Amino acid sequence: MENREFFPGRESGEGRTGTPLFRASSITKIYHQGTQTEVRALDGVDLELFDGELAVLLGASGSGKSTLLNILGGLDIPTGGRLFYREDELTGADEDLLTAFRRDSVGFVFQFYNLIPSLTARENVALVTEIAPDPMTPEEALELVGLEDRMDHFPSQLSGGQQQRVAIARAIAKRPEVLLCDEPTGALDVTTGITVLEAVEKVNRELGTLAVVITHNAAIASMADRVIFLSGGKITSIRGNERRMPARSLSW
Amino acid sequence: MSVMRALDRKLLRDLSGMKGQMTAIALVMACGLSMMIMARGLVVSLEETERRYYGTSRFADVFCELKRAPLSLESSLAALPGVAAAETRARGVLTLDIPGMREPVDGMIFSLPEDRPQRLNLLHLKAGRLPAPGSRDEIAVSSGFAGAHGFVPGDELAGTVYGVRRRFRITGIAMSPEFIYETRAGEMLPDPRRFGVFWMNSGELSRALGLEGAFNSLSVRLSPGADGDETKAGIDRLLEPYGGLTAYDRGDHPSAKLMRDEIRQLKGFSVAFPAVFLAVAAFMTSAALTRLVKLQRQQIAQLKAFGYSPFSVGAHFLKFALVPAVAATLLSLTFGMWAGRAFVSLYHRFFQLPYLEFIPDWGALAAGIAATAAAVVLGVLSAVRRAASLPPAEAMRPEPPADFSPSRLEKMGIHRLVPPSFRMALRNLERRPWQAFFTALGLSLAAAIPVLPGAMADGVDYLMEFQWSLAQRQDATAALLEPGGPDAFSSLERLPGVLSAEPFRAVPVVLRTGHRKWRTAVTGLPRNPELNRLLDRDGREISLPPAGLVMSEKLADILELSPGDGVTAEVREGRRPVVRTVLSGTVSDYAGVAVYMEIDALRKLLGEQGTVSGAYLAVDSLRWNDFLAEVKKTPRIASVGSTAAVLENFRRTTAEMMGMSQAVYYVFSIIVSFGVIYNGARIALSERGRDLATLRVLGFTKREVSGILVLELALLTLAAVGPGLVLGRWLTEAVMESAGSETMRFPVIITGRTYVMAAVTVLFSSLFSFAVVTRRIASLDLLGVLKSGE
Repeated sequence: MENREFFPGRESGEGRTGTPLFRASSITKIYHQGTQTEVRALDGVDLELFDGELAVLLGASGSGKSTLLNILGGLDIPTGGRLFYREDELTGADEDLLTAFRRDSVGFVFQFYNLIPSLTARENVALVTEIAPDPMTPEEALELVGLEDRMDHFPSQLSGGQQQRVAIARAIAKRPEVLLCDEPTGALDVTTGITVLEAVEKVNRELGTLAVVITHNAAIASMADRVIFLSGGKITSIRGNERRMPARSLSW
Repeated sequence: MSVMRALDRKLLRDLSGMKGQMTAIALVMACGLSMMIMARGLVVSLEETERRYYGTSRFADVFCELKRAPLSLESSLAALPGVAAAETRARGVLTLDIPGMREPVDGMIFSLPEDRPQRLNLLHLKAGRLPAPGSRDEIAVSSGFAGAHGFVPGDELAGTVYGVRRRFRITGIAMSPEFIYETRAGEMLPDPRRFGVFWMNSGELSRALGLEGAFNSLSVRLSPGADGDETKAGIDRLLEPYGGLTAYDRGDHPSAKLMRDEIRQLKGFSVAFPAVFLAVAAFMTSAALTRLVKLQRQQIAQLKAFGYSPFSVGAHFLKFALVPAVAATLLSLTFGMWAGRAFVSLYHRFFQLPYLEFIPDWGALAAGIAATAAAVVLGVLSAVRRAASLPPAEAMRPEPPADFSPSRLEKMGIHRLVPPSFRMALRNLERRPWQAFFTALGLSLAAAIPVLPGAMADGVDYLMEFQWSLAQRQDATAALLEPGGPDAFSSLERLPGVLSAEPFRAVPVVLRTGHRKWRTAVTGLPRNPELNRLLDRDGREISLPPAGLVMSEKLADILELSPGDGVTAEVREGRRPVVRTVLSGTVSDYAGVAVYMEIDALRKLLGEQGTVSGAYLAVDSLRWNDFLAEVKKTPRIASVGSTAAVLENFRRTTAEMMGMSQAVYYVFSIIVSFGVIYNGARIALSERGRDLATLRVLGFTKREVSGILVLELALLTLAAVGPGLVLGRWLTEAVMESAGSETMRFPVIITGRTYVMAAVTVLFSSLFSFAVVTRRIASLDLLGVLKSGE
C-alpha cells in the first residue's frame, strides 16, 4: 500500500526508523480572504511523524505551524497534497471519518485549555473517557499529570497550569496514539509552563504516545526528539536532538 | 452618502446576526399586541355601536310586562316621575308553519302603533317597509329569522296567533334594539331557524290577542338624571292591579345583558392575555440582549475608549429592544385588525346589529407598546449599565471563567447516576436560575394556552351530555297559552306519539332576600321528575322537598343564599300571594337560572288544584310528524320546543362561535413555545458555543454535541409541561368564571385528551426549534474557538 513515490521528503525522517504514524506530502493550505487576497498558510509541506517520538514544531506566529497541526489533527482540510495516518488517507476523508479519527486516535491540548467550566476536573476527563473504546479511568489520567488531589475542583477553582494539566489528562485519558499540543504553555508563566511540559513528557515516555508540541518558544525545542522549523508555510529544516533535555531543566 | 451613524450601522449588522431571535421575540410580542388590538377594538366597537344604536333607536330604559291594562292608563304612566316617554303595546306568541321544517317554529309578535310613529325601541329596517297603517295581514320579521330562512319582503307566512290560523305577508325585514341577541326567553343561543320576532299593526294584533283597548307590555325611557328605581316602583304600583309582573331595567334585559356580558368578557381578555404575552416577550428580549451585551463586552470597552459616553453606549443597546417592538407593532396591526374584522363578521352572524365596524383602540395600543418597551428596558438595564460602567481597560480583558458548583440535585447524590453531559445541563440551569425560571415559565404558558380551547370543546361536550341526556330527557316541551286544569294536562298526554308526559306549572315571581331582588319564574315539578330531571353537581338526581325552593347554584350565588336560608317569594299571577319560604337545595345547570318547587306545594300556594302551564313529553320518534301536526291544530298550545333541535342548534352554534378562538389559541401557543425555546436555545448556543466546539474537536459527533445542548432545553421543557397544564387549568377556570353569567355557564371539564394535545403542541414546537438550532451546531467554528480565550 505504501507508495514511496509520494514521499520525496523521506530523508526528513532524519535518523528515525520504523513505521511513520503520519505521512504528509506536498501539503498546501490556501485561505481565501475576501475575493482578492489569498494566504498560503502551508506551501508544500512534506513530513513524517513516528510512533513514540516527541516532536516540536517551532516557528514564528504566522509560520503555518497551527495550520499544520490542525490538518494533522483532522480539524482542517488541506487545499492540496496528501496526508496518511497509518494506512488511512485523511485527505478527502469526510466529516464523519475525521470526527471518528479525532475521537479514537488524537488527543488535543490547546493554549486556552478549553475546559468545560460547568464540569469538575474529573468530569472533564470523564466526558472523553465515556466515549472512548479503551480509556484509562479519569482518576488514573489525573494522577498521571499530578492532579490527584484536585479532581473535584471546577476550572474556576484551578490555576492556569492546573487547568492545562487537566486538559492534558483529558487528552491522554483515552490512550490516544497522538497528542497534539498547540502552544500549551502560551498563556502560562515559566514555572507553571514547565509543570505542563513535564506532563507532556511523561505521557510521551510512559505511554509511548506520539507528542507534537507547537511553540514559538525556542527554549522548548531541546526537550524534543526532533525539532521541525517552519517559516512562511514551509519546513525550513528538521533537527534531531542528540539527547532530549528533561522538561524540568528548561528555562526561558 | 453616509447618513447613518456608524453606531446605528453596527446596530443593523448585529441585528441581522440575530434575525431568528428577533423574529421569535417580535412574533410573541405580536401575539400579545394582536390580542390587545383585537379585543380592545371589539370593546370600543361594540360600545360605540351600542351607544349609537340604543341612542338613535330610542331603546327603552325600563320594561314591564303585564296581563292586561287599559290604554287609558298610559297618561298616568307618562306622568310618573322620571318618565320621559312611555310606549304601550300588545305582545303575544306566534307559531309558524314553514314548509319543509320538521321542528316547530315560533316567535314573539309585537304591535306597532298605526296612528303615529313608534316612540321607543324604533325598528331599523334592513329591507322593505313597515306594515301599512290599516293593513290586516302585513308583518315585519326580524332579520335573523328572515336571513335563516331566506325570506324577503313579499313572501308569505302561515301561522297561528292565539289559536287562530292566519296568513301574513312580509313587508319588511327589521332589527330591534330589544333583540340584538335574537333568542327565545330562557335559551342561551340564538336559533334563528326556529325562533323569530315579528311586528304587525296594533289594531289587528290587539284584536287577535283579545287586547282591544288594552296593552300588556310597557317600555319607558327615563329622563336624564332620573332615579330608575323610583320610576320602576311607580310602574309596579300602577300596574299591580293589572297583573303587572315586575318592572326591570336594561341591566336585566336579556339582549342588553348579553351585550354587556360580551363586552365585559372582552375587556377581561384585552388585559389579561396581552399582559401575559408581553411579559414573556419582555423576558425573551431581556435574555437575548443581556447575552449580547456580554458578548460585546470588548466592543463596549473600545467604544468607551474612543470616547463614547456610557449613556450613548446604553442607548445603543436599548435600541435593539425597540426593533422587535416596532416589528411586532406592524405585524399585530395587520393581524390584530384582520382578526378584529373577522370577529366583527362573526358578531354580525350572532348579533342583529344594523352597523358594527371594527374601530381600533389606538390609545390602548400605545399603552401596550409603552408597557412592553418599559418592561424590556427594565430587563436589559442592569446588563447595559454593568457593561457601560466598566472601565475600558478592564472590559477589554476577557471575562474570567464562569463559576460553577455542584447543583443541589447532585448534593442529594444524583450525580452518581447521571453522565457528565447531564450534570453540565443541571449546573447550567442552576447557575442562572432566573433565566431557567423564565424560560420554563414561557414554556408553561405555551402548554397552558392550548388547554383552554381544548377545555372549551370538552365543556361543550359535557354540557350537552349533562343538559340534554342526563337532565332534560324530554323530546318536547309543550307550553300552554294559559294555565289549564287537569283536562289540559290529559289532552297533552293524549297527543299522538306521546309515550309519557310530566306536568309543570310556571308562575312569575319576584324573590327577595335582604335588599336583593330577582325576577324569575318558579317552576312546579313532580317530586321526582323523570323527564326534566334535576341534578346536582355530580349528576345525582334531586327530589323536590314538600316545601321550600330549589334553585340553580348560580342564582343562589347571586342572591347569596345557602340551603336553609329564608327567602320571600312574591307571586305575580292570580291572587298574587307573598310567601316566606326557604331555599331547600340547589341544582347544577348551565343555561339560564331556574327556581323549582314541588308542583302541588306551588298549586297550594296559588290556591289551585291540578293546574298546569304545560308538559314535558317523551314522544315516539316514529310518530313525531303526527305529533307536530296535531300540536299545530291545538290552539291552546302556545309553543312546542324540540329538545333535539335545541341540541343540534347548540352544537352548530358553539362550534361556529368557538372555532375561531380555538384556532387563534392554538396558533398563539405554537408561536410562544417555538419562540421561547428557540430564543433559549440560541442564547444557550451562544453561551455554550465554545464548550460545544471544544467537544466537537475532542471527537464528539454533531449528534452528541446537539444532544448536550438539547438536553438542557429538553429538561426545561419537560419540567415546564406539568406546571403548564396546571396553569392551563387555572387559566380555563378563570376564563370560564369570567365568561359565566346567568345566561350561560361553562363547566370546567378538561379531558386527558386535551392535556395530551396541549403537551404535544409544546413538545412538537420544541422539537422543531431544537432542529433549527441543531443545524447551527454544524457550522460551529472549531478552529476559531481554539485560538482565543472567550
